[in-house]
Amino acid sequence: MSSSPRSRTSQTAIFAVAVGAAIIGLSLVLVGLGVNLLDAGHIFVTGLFPPVAVTTEGAQIRDLYTIVFLIAAAIFIVVEGLIIWTVIRYRRKPGDDTLPPQTHGNNIAELIWTIVPTVLVIFMFVISWQTLSAVDKSSDEAQTKIRAVAGQFQWTFDYLAPDGKTILYTEFIPLASAGGGMNVPAGRTVQLSLVSNDVIHAFYVPQFLFKRDVVPGRVNQFDFTVNESDVGQTFRGQCAELCGSGHAIMLFEVTAMSAAEFDTWLAGKAQPAPSGEPAASGPAPSGQPAPSGQPAPSGQPAPGAGETLQVTAQGVKFNESALTATAETPFRIDFKNEDPGTPHNVAIHQGSPTGQEVFKGEIFPGVAEKTYDVPALPAGAYAFVCTVHPNMTGTLTVQ
Amino acid sequence: MALTTETHPVPTDHNPLASMPHDTHGGISNPVLGMLLFITSEVMFFGGLFAAYFNLRANAPQWPPINPETNEVFQLAILPFVGPATLLLILSSVTCQVAVWGIRRDDRTAFLRAMAVTVILGIIFLVMQLIDYSLLGSEGLTLSSGSYGTTYYTLTGFHGAHVFGGVVMLSVVLYRGMAGQFSGRHYDAVEAASLYWHFVDVVWILLFSLLYLLPGKTAAT
Amino acid sequence: MATTTLTPAASASRSALYAWLTTTDHKKIGIMYLINSFFFFFFAGILALFVRTELAQPGLQFVTDQTYNELFTMHGTIMIFLFVIPILAGFGNYVVPLQIGAPDMAFPRINALSFWMLPLGGILLLLGFVTGGTAAAGWTGYPPLTEDYPLASTGTGQDLWIVALILIGTSSILGAINFLVTIFKMRAPGMTLFRMPILVWTVIVTSVLVLMATPVITSALIMLFIDRNYGGSFFDPRVGGDPILYQNVFWFYSHPAVYVMILPAMGMVSEILPVFSRKPLFGYKAFIFATAAIGALGFSVWAHHMFTTGAVYLPFFSIMTFLIAVPTGVKMFNWIFTMWRGQLMLKTPILFAIGFLMMFLIGGINGAFSASVPVDFAVHDTYWVVAHLHYVLFGGSVFGIMGGLYYWFPKMTGRMMNETIGKAQFVLMFIGFNMTFFPMHELGLAGMPRRIADYSSTAGWNDLNMVATIGGFTIALSMALLLWNIFISLRSGEPAGDDPWEANTLEWATSSPPPDYNFDRLPEIRSERPLFDLRHGRTAEH
Repeated sequence: MSSSPRSRTSQTAIFAVAVGAAIIGLSLVLVGLGVNLLDAGHIFVTGLFPPVAVTTEGAQIRDLYTIVFLIAAAIFIVVEGLIIWTVIRYRRKPGDDTLPPQTHGNNIAELIWTIVPTVLVIFMFVISWQTLSAVDKSSDEAQTKIRAVAGQFQWTFDYLAPDGKTILYTEFIPLASAGGGMNVPAGRTVQLSLVSNDVIHAFYVPQFLFKRDVVPGRVNQFDFTVNESDVGQTFRGQCAELCGSGHAIMLFEVTAMSAAEFDTWLAGKAQPAPSGEPAASGPAPSGQPAPSGQPAPSGQPAPGAGETLQVTAQGVKFNESALTATAETPFRIDFKNEDPGTPHNVAIHQGSPTGQEVFKGEIFPGVAEKTYDVPALPAGAYAFVCTVHPNMTGTLTVQ
Repeated sequence: MALTTETHPVPTDHNPLASMPHDTHGGISNPVLGMLLFITSEVMFFGGLFAAYFNLRANAPQWPPINPETNEVFQLAILPFVGPATLLLILSSVTCQVAVWGIRRDDRTAFLRAMAVTVILGIIFLVMQLIDYSLLGSEGLTLSSGSYGTTYYTLTGFHGAHVFGGVVMLSVVLYRGMAGQFSGRHYDAVEAASLYWHFVDVVWILLFSLLYLLPGKTAAT
Repeated sequence: MATTTLTPAASASRSALYAWLTTTDHKKIGIMYLINSFFFFFFAGILALFVRTELAQPGLQFVTDQTYNELFTMHGTIMIFLFVIPILAGFGNYVVPLQIGAPDMAFPRINALSFWMLPLGGILLLLGFVTGGTAAAGWTGYPPLTEDYPLASTGTGQDLWIVALILIGTSSILGAINFLVTIFKMRAPGMTLFRMPILVWTVIVTSVLVLMATPVITSALIMLFIDRNYGGSFFDPRVGGDPILYQNVFWFYSHPAVYVMILPAMGMVSEILPVFSRKPLFGYKAFIFATAAIGALGFSVWAHHMFTTGAVYLPFFSIMTFLIAVPTGVKMFNWIFTMWRGQLMLKTPILFAIGFLMMFLIGGINGAFSASVPVDFAVHDTYWVVAHLHYVLFGGSVFGIMGGLYYWFPKMTGRMMNETIGKAQFVLMFIGFNMTFFPMHELGLAGMPRRIADYSSTAGWNDLNMVATIGGFTIALSMALLLWNIFISLRSGEPAGDDPWEANTLEWATSSPPPDYNFDRLPEIRSERPLFDLRHGRTAEH
């Protein structure tokens, strides 16, 4: 059947050389592509654990993970070891044609490897169930209540009054680095409610070791408590349920403040709404102060003297890609938001979308229209972006 | 029996297939077993639709809901069409079985007569269903009338499609019967088709009870 | 022993093509299943290479995010419905009638119909590429993303996806009916149920799963179609529908579907290990019970795909998911102890079977993590799950399929495949596979979600993504070796003879390839290894 008889040793040697060559070759390719092999190797090993949790619930999940991991590692070592050892030990020696003992089975063995795994999985189920009861709960007694509203393609955070309904303040900007994010008081239980404006999304913060789907037509809720020792830190989060073309950009950040800082901050944001009524559920911008970002111009031509630019946001995109304006003259932007329920704005940055912000229009959900009064800008190249959706950009040439 | 290494030749012929046994194990014939398995899969198909119905019904605060066109609760009328159609369908199952008994005892005339009646009854059922549909449509119940309309038309519609398929199947059996292809020793297709027809009837009885007879619920005030 | 070959007279190539197009012979149909499935395997594999190329580095370099969503959606859909499920049906089609000593399947014309629905379904599915975009909502197709919403998957491609899957599902169901009637009614004299090869048993359980679960996804797809096109209200929450309803109905099928995708591959491994260990399968009956238990339990775990929805009774589905590990473990030990104290002939088929054992073990272990609900809260919808599913479907099913291919290729073609290339393919595939998918455990734990076209360059995921991409191209290289091997073996492979492996089951008791209607004479059947008994005059230690 095989062509030329080789000794077992040389067969093994050829095999080992082939495997070795493949591994070395692939490593060289990786190094050539700029992969830091040592770093990658380090992550390979340490990365088999989730990040250290920043919530008390997350810590319990991580402890459970550790136990499961130890059991898994033990099973892996024993069984893989058994496979590899069996293959090596019972290879046919060349020229040996004797038939091995034709064992058909062993009922005791079957019993053992049925009962032991059953006991093991029941144990794992029980400890999982215990952890589940501790981490998956929601109590209306929580001191701080926040509602995360997911839409295509952004997160909006409503800070609620203790009644769980009145909106004290709505944060349209999901990232702390862009001036927003979800602020939470460390050491205090936060009840988070999840609502969707459209399709299914998922709220996921890797450092919480937790995610929960955001399903339209239902309100999911869970409680979490950030450790006091993690005050001042910011945790990244993103949508974890495919929700369309913008799924990958639905990022957000959670910042932990001390409880006192948080209360002060929220009180400052939650000014009484001009109309005096609590807003209905959803990302309605109640209680917001007048459009931010521009001081009243003084000693300059009155606003509205210059041109009016038209900008429309539709389908989480700007319809316009390039705008021009006159230098040293205030101008207006007539901004139409055609995306129902989705917050947008127009902000102007120096040079590129990541440059210095020189103007930020009020963020508001569609379908609505607002006119921004933009102060005079020196000539140059600018970019206009949506603060909520950083991928919505265009160029503004001021000359 | 002594242990030997003898081989047992399978009898061969000029045409090897002709002398191969259709099945080497007795019991129900291959086509009938195949049809029973097919019916199992159809039961699971309707199971999915029924599950959807129960789920949506349980979620709804009121069932049947209010018809936005008339501001009254949706109502499904058993008379004058659906009730009698149900009775006719049940009757057609009886005539179908009569046809099977007929061909089993080699009485081709009885078989053909009963099978023809079955086909006609099936067609009448479909016609009455369609008339009922158009009446309901004019009253404002359509596929897009919320979960009530969607589930009603989907469930009864797919049932109707299966009735249609059954009518076609029985017509083919009737045609083959008239061409003399069945006898008291050879009637697998008749039996298989009749099993399908009984299944279609049972599904209707369940559907009818669920959609027309099960009491509704009103929203708590 | 007698070897007769009925050699048909040489025919003109036009009538040979006609013969293949109109055949109802299970062997030809089986081969067509294999060819069709491999075509779609390579197509979906190339889609995966596009995915990996885009993900190698942060930043959208090659495709738009919408296109990316189409790529992974089609990759998953094609791999599941046009490759794994049908190719196992194809192997079953070829091998099962031979293994039970039958001349063909019970319903040969329905068998042909089942096959031809597959290329048709495949064409319908791929038409999305030319009608403005394929489905792009993942192979799971959750509403409301698949409803008629403004920024959702509204195009014709999604409707084509629905219709193609209904067609392919119907093909599956008809095949299952055929298998069950064939196996229960057409076994040769002496072939009692407990003397059947394990592959036949796995095909029985698989067919029961297909029969009972596939119609349920058909109903889900039809309901989705009605919602999308006729104003239906099944899943649209704006008009009283429930998105979670879809998930329940969908997963009621799709979980048993994963057993449909693994059980025949396990059956093939169970054929290969005894032959190449020169011992019987350890625990034949335990194996059958374990297979049946997996089939039954498989119907009770579907909502473990929905732990994070907040709409599921968590403890029940968690315990049932954990329990399924038990019969799976029983099989693992039975396989290992088949090799134990054997005489292992390390040829390519058993190398792939051993690869199966090693990789499927990892897939089973990381699945147990997800069975623990709190851990699932951390890893669901991340690359952890991508790692898990590829370890069981690639490390499991594909390795099993490769083993089956190398094992039965001689029977189907009369020629041996090249051993050296086979071993090289195995090594490259093993290394490439682990390089691609093991890092995904770390990526998932570190927080990288699934189905994202791009990722932040500061998240710390760059290096592992590049490693995974290189692994992907290594797999592609191993597939090139496979194609080369198939090509040269068909042209000039060593003649195989009836029984090149000294195997145990009936398909090796006839010529390679077998004649029409399979057997001129059958050996006496007294155990699950009729050929072994024949060869050793039943005087070997029993």
